[in-house]
Amino acid sequence: MKDRYEKLFSIGILLIPLLFAIRGGYLQQVSGYVFLFLIQGYVAWFLFFKSGQPFFGYSVTMAIGAYGTIVLTVMFDWPLLLSMLVSSFFAPVVGVILFLATIRARGFYVSMTSFLLAILFPKLINALQDITGGRSGLYFSGLSEFMGYKMLYVLVILVTVAIAALFMYLMETKTGKILTLISENDRLAEAVGINTRKFKIAAYCIAGFISGLGGALYVNYTGFVSSIDIEVFTTLYIFFIPLIGGSSVFYGPILGALFVILVPELLVPVERYFRIFFGLIFIIIIVMLPNGLAPNLQKLFVRIRSRKA
Amino acid sequence: MDESLLKISELTVCYGRISALKCIDFYVNDNEIVGIVGPNGAGKSTLLEAIAGSVPVREGRIRFLGHHIQNWSVIKRRQLGLMLIPQEGNIFPMMTVKKNLEVSVILSDRHTRDELIDYVYQIFPILWERRRQTANTLSGGQQKMLAVGIGIASNARVMLIDEPSIGLAPKLVTKLFDTLQRIREDTKKTIVLSEQNIKILNIADRLFGLEAGEIRFDERKENLNRDVVKDLYLGSIS
Amino acid sequence: MLLNGIITGLIMGGILSLPVLGVAVIYGITGIPNFAIGVIGVFGGFITWYFFSVSIGFAIAVGVIACFVIGYAVQRILLTPISEKGGDSTLFFIITVSLGFVFEGIIRAIFPRPNISLELPRLGTVTFAGFSVEGFKIIALVFALGTLALIRIMEERTEAGKSWQATSQNLKLAKLVGINTTQVFSIASGIGCALACVGAIFWGSLYNLELSSGWDLGFMGFIVAVVGGIGNIWGGMISALIMGMVISFSGYLLGGEWQSVILYFIVILVLIIAPKGILGSERSL
Repeated sequence: MKDRYEKLFSIGILLIPLLFAIRGGYLQQVSGYVFLFLIQGYVAWFLFFKSGQPFFGYSVTMAIGAYGTIVLTVMFDWPLLLSMLVSSFFAPVVGVILFLATIRARGFYVSMTSFLLAILFPKLINALQDITGGRSGLYFSGLSEFMGYKMLYVLVILVTVAIAALFMYLMETKTGKILTLISENDRLAEAVGINTRKFKIAAYCIAGFISGLGGALYVNYTGFVSSIDIEVFTTLYIFFIPLIGGSSVFYGPILGALFVILVPELLVPVERYFRIFFGLIFIIIIVMLPNGLAPNLQKLFVRIRSRKA
Repeated sequence: MDESLLKISELTVCYGRISALKCIDFYVNDNEIVGIVGPNGAGKSTLLEAIAGSVPVREGRIRFLGHHIQNWSVIKRRQLGLMLIPQEGNIFPMMTVKKNLEVSVILSDRHTRDELIDYVYQIFPILWERRRQTANTLSGGQQKMLAVGIGIASNARVMLIDEPSIGLAPKLVTKLFDTLQRIREDTKKTIVLSEQNIKILNIADRLFGLEAGEIRFDERKENLNRDVVKDLYLGSIS
Repeated sequence: MLLNGIITGLIMGGILSLPVLGVAVIYGITGIPNFAIGVIGVFGGFITWYFFSVSIGFAIAVGVIACFVIGYAVQRILLTPISEKGGDSTLFFIITVSLGFVFEGIIRAIFPRPNISLELPRLGTVTFAGFSVEGFKIIALVFALGTLALIRIMEERTEAGKSWQATSQNLKLAKLVGINTTQVFSIASGIGCALACVGAIFWGSLYNLELSSGWDLGFMGFIVAVVGGIGNIWGGMISALIMGMVISFSGYLLGGEWQSVILYFIVILVLIIAPKGILGSERSL
């Protein structure tokens, strides 16, 4: 698919669910979730797949945005939007610190530090349960008070579209192209004189901020957050979004988010066997379709079309 | 023509889009020492690795002892009697010399094992001296000897050796080649060497010249003109 | 009080060391980081619990053998072929985690109330220096040390053990020399899972086993192994003992919830300061 069509197609697809707001109800609620996780999925797409940084801590940045918003608004009485912004500014700090600390190390275990952080963070929340509510979680009304659910839903969609568009645009700019180069051949980039450290830090900052913002939005939409919501599996699901959906095309993460959020919903009737299927499907897709769903679906379309012709 | 022990027909090996070997024909007779010569990047290592099974074959056939082995696994080929001594990564670095050899005789039965290991110590006395030393603390030349020792210990009928003389001082090279000659006489094995060093002419019965993935010549030693070989390296044959 | 902490720590370390050894053996020989062995081990624990009424010995045997077979099969069918095609660690991370999901699902499907406790016989108490410890609790540590010693002896003396060492040090050459590396991989995986199962059994008798225990054991086993240098079984053992004490002391000083926090925090620190682990070597047996 031509690049421009791809982008328009992606944005278009994202705007269709605006219609769900008319009927509301279950469909609206679920698609809201899809969008909120799609934000995180695009962050993972940007940082891990496009910029090549081995970071697994998306649930952490999301959680900082979420918890930060609540803590600042409820306990310190800050205005809502300010809390959201400030928490989002805090979110990248973690990623950047880890990056700088492990900058000299090589190999897979470096990426494990961010994964370990993702495991550690919910436990930290539990340990601090006086402030954070631990497993029982914290309730929060936030934006839904001002806007009502339908408007909030529309806002979520628009923000997601804006973020997706932002990332799409970013990858086309000089910065984006440099990040692509860094992800493909770090040493070459350094050899031609690019300050890779600067760009990598920038990538972490952008990714962290957006993820935090997504988390702040999340807590407004769902009205509730607890340590269970940001367990390590959350970060894995987020990571799976661009992985399963396909990281090479812009609408890949969309498919991935649909998959990761909807498949569990669809499998509710077979709840007892749910995890088995989920895991098996993941394995099958990863092994057989290493590029994810999107490119393969595309090939399938092309084949069907050429058969009709 | 088909009494050859090992015969390769129309072998093509590719790395991605680049053909490393193009439609190669190659054969080896029993108890011969055959040399594959050619400049850097000609495909000598690739040829040996393809025969051993470390590298997959795009097209072509490899016949050994009557079997078509081009799709066989490395382990199966080894069981049939083919073994490769690679240029690098040819020892078990963190085990002692003794253990390196003990591990390599694994396919042989009890009596043969001791015989094989004793023979290795016989030909390479320095390995006996250093038998309790960890392999990666040996010098480069000694590691080469250990690698050849591993090859002998594995008791394969055909030993493929990838550039054995690389990195060795000239005196050691001559010594090594003499040792290979001796091994051939003592054990009746077949040895296929890839080499850049022209001293291989001293021990090889036949030479194949390889350049840019294609065979340039295939001659018995007596019939070979030294100039032909020189030209192969200086690139005037094309 | 201090001594109590140390002893508790050693016990905890002993239990922890079993999945740690499992991870170390598997990674040491195959180079694959397998995150599913915790869940598989817990699955084995559930199987053991199921057969408890028949006889304890029988039940344990069934559980451990089941885990061995599962580990063998998983490696043979799924992991080795991917490794041959050049899988990298991140890919194996994702695949083994997904595998963990699958087994978690299997546990949930088969056992409707996935929260059990295993009643192993208490072997009386051992007293020294004025402290009495249930003899049973020490068994985990003894077992782990015994397994470690057994593995080392096998490596040095037996043919199979030497093949394992060779395979872990130079896979390509091991194949060339004729070692059946596929078999070696599968057996290593089987042993790793069996060890995890024993660890789960001990854990289940001291605490309890639920769905999340598999992940806890698996991740903890993994990170403790990494701290010791991931393929290094001595390092893993030492690391397990140290970590056991960390858990025990932080439990005393700060309270239950902080135990894991401190643990993971320390591991992150270790990874940052010494990525190859405290004993410094990653892949060696």
